[in-house]
Parts: sequence; structure tokens; C-alpha cells
Amino acid sequence: MTHTHVDELDRIELDDGFEWRPVRRRFDIRAFGVNAYAPGATGQVVEEHSESALGHEEIYLVLRGRARFTVDGNEHELGPGQLVFVRDPSLRRGAVALSDDTIVLALGGRPGVAHEPSAWEAMFAAVPAAREGRWADAIRMHEAALAEQPASAPLLYNLACMESRGGWPLDALLHLAEAIELDPKWAAYAAKDTDFDPIRDEPGFPA
Amino acid sequence: MSDGYQVLSLDDLERLTSTDGELTLLPLRRTIGFHPFGVNAWLGANAGDRVIERHREQDGDEELYVVVRGRATFTLGDETFDAPPGTLVHATPGTLREAMAAEDDTVVLAVGAKPGEAWEPAPWEDFYVAFAHRAAGRVDEGRAIVADTLAQHPGTWQGPFNAACFEAVAGDDDAAFEHLRVAVERAPAIIAKYAPDDGDLTRLHGDPRWQELFG
Repeated sequence: MTHTHVDELDRIELDDGFEWRPVRRRFDIRAFGVNAYAPGATGQVVEEHSESALGHEEIYLVLRGRARFTVDGNEHELGPGQLVFVRDPSLRRGAVALSDDTIVLALGGRPGVAHEPSAWEAMFAAVPAAREGRWADAIRMHEAALAEQPASAPLLYNLACMESRGGWPLDALLHLAEAIELDPKWAAYAAKDTDFDPIRDEPGFPA
Repeated sequence: MSDGYQVLSLDDLERLTSTDGELTLLPLRRTIGFHPFGVNAWLGANAGDRVIERHREQDGDEELYVVVRGRATFTLGDETFDAPPGTLVHATPGTLREAMAAEDDTVVLAVGAKPGEAWEPAPWEDFYVAFAHRAAGRVDEGRAIVADTLAQHPGTWQGPFNAACFEAVAGDDDAAFEHLRVAVERAPAIIAKYAPDDGDLTRLHGDPRWQELFG
């Protein structure tokens, strides 16, 4: 299918309380980042975040309903056809839906470089499988994303989380070590991450 | 608000009609200065108006169209379908696509770029805006955009060819022939194919310089 409707997309409610409706993955778009969001249990529709890590410029367009955006500490209430363009990746931004049917379309990418699908998409996509304890499925989704981005520390780290919880301690230790080798900050995260409780006492677990 | 972000409505954007009067562009990307990839909105003010040009993106852009409001009838390849607000249409390069407004005040967002390449603003956007300014009587403003575009995209045939069209309609024949000559130097076969049928250049056909270029 080359066309669909925002209400026919997958709906993945994430722990932060918003619902991700994957657009880029749906069509396997390679040239740019695009996704839709709806309010989850908490009414959040755009996650509170900055784009510092990815350096993305982002456009948030309200397709339906109403949302209160907070950008860099300022509030803006937007309706259909209104948008926020956040040029500065370091600015904190997020939005709360003011009506249940709100849909926000998010478009993002980094200027001057060829677009690469963001690693977080595979991790978000694996959330339902992980929630239901289908560890092999969650792991497969991470492996597919790693085949395209083998040097993604967040993907390796998250894969290690799935393997730890799913009962593959040796794989978990290996992939956690690879993530930490790429970026040592993951060692500090691992120290506090309950996902690693099953392997914390294994020899070779990073202190 | 800070310099790092901007809030606006698609209704705040200029409404720029194409030279043939068929299309209305809401120039989102240029207005906000977005550089990661192409993004613009197109308006069908009345039911029956064309919203998305019939084209194929032969140069390799993949595109996503999003119906923001109103309602459109899309054609993608062999398929024609009704597209209410919230419809997402993905078109791979080479696929024929077009959309007509099925209701008044239909707005479609178009997003596009080539996979695997860093995106750069395409000259069509500048020329579209320049031609719309000229049609609205803002000739100097349009000419300044043409000059900028030529400087930003040196060595193409499309730049000088479009500049020739701009000047031919604006009434500066000398400038038109100067641009046309550069275009012919860069792509003789392509220009010989397109120039004779281009309505913007018809007025130049009687000029001896036309004979020199195209015999």
C-alpha cells in the first residue's frame, strides 16, 4: 500500500504517555524523518525532549485537534494547520493535547547530511513486544536496525537490555560491552538500569 | 519567542500562483528557512482545482503527501483514490502522481528528498517564487531571486533556461537571449527540444537571434 490514513497507522503507546504512529517505517521512507503522534494516557502528544543528540531541525504540524506546546519554556496553543518549527536542536520542546483526537505530524532531519533513520524508531517499535515479554521478537527488531547502523550505541545498549531480560546473558554482556566501547556513558546507565538486574552479578558485567 | 524556534500557521504563508494559473504554492520551506529536506504546502482554493502537479520526480526524490484539510482526489500510478484529511500518500521516484481538490480550501503538504544524499534547495522553488512575483508585478523582486538562484546553482542548464523564460515574459529580450545562449552552451540538445515549445519564449521566435540559436 502506498497510501494510508493517520488513523490506520500502528499505534504504539510509549511509557512517557504519548502514542507514536510510525509513518517513516510504514512506508520505509529513507530520505527524511516523519512520524505522527496522538495523546496517550497522560495527554502528552509530543514527548518533552531536545534534539541535541541527533542535531535535527524539527517541524511539528497540528493535523487535527489542539495542543499546547512548550518550547524553550514558552507556551503556545496551536490548532489545525498551525505549526512550530524548532531550528535549534538544543531547545526543550513538548506538547500536551487539549482534545482527545489531536494528531501532530513531526518532520525532522539534520541539515547538510543524508538522512539516516533514527535508532530510536526501532527501539520504540520493539516496545509492544518487550511489554508482552516476546523477547525474541524485540531482539529481532533491534538486530534488523543494527544491520543498517552497526555502530549505534543506543541500539546496542537497548539490544543488551532485551537480551538480559529475555534470558540471554552472554549476548547481553557482549552487546553492552560494545555499546560502552562506542560511548562510555552507557556504563553509568547500565549501573542503574533494572533491565540488567538478571546479569548484574555475572562476571564481566561493567562495574 | 526566541530565535531558535518559530510558530506560524499555514494560513500566514503567501499564496503564490504558478505561471499557468494551475497551482498555488504556500512556500513553507523558504519562509521558515528549513534545510534538512524539501517541505511545502499546496492549496486548492476551490473544488476541482489542481493541488499537486501531474509529475513523476524522475530525478530520484521520494515524496510523502499529507492531506492537511479539505479533501483531495489523488492519482498514484494506475490508482485513483479519495483522500480525506489525515491521508498519507507515499510516492517513489518515477511514479506518476497528481491530486485535485475535491472540496474548497484543500491543503496538501508535500515532503521530499533523495534517499542517501544531503538535501539542497532545488532551483524550481526559487523560480516558482520569482515567476509568481513577476506575475504579480513585482518584477525586480523576482529578478533578484533569479540572480541569487543562478549564483547558487552554477553550471546547470535549468537555471539559465528558466532565467530566459523569466526575462522573455518580463520584456527584457536582450537579457533573455543572453541566458538562452548560456543554456544552449550547457545542454544544446535539451534546449533545442524544449525551447521551441515553451510558451514563455514564443515572443522571441521572430527575433534574428532566435534563428542564430535554433536555425
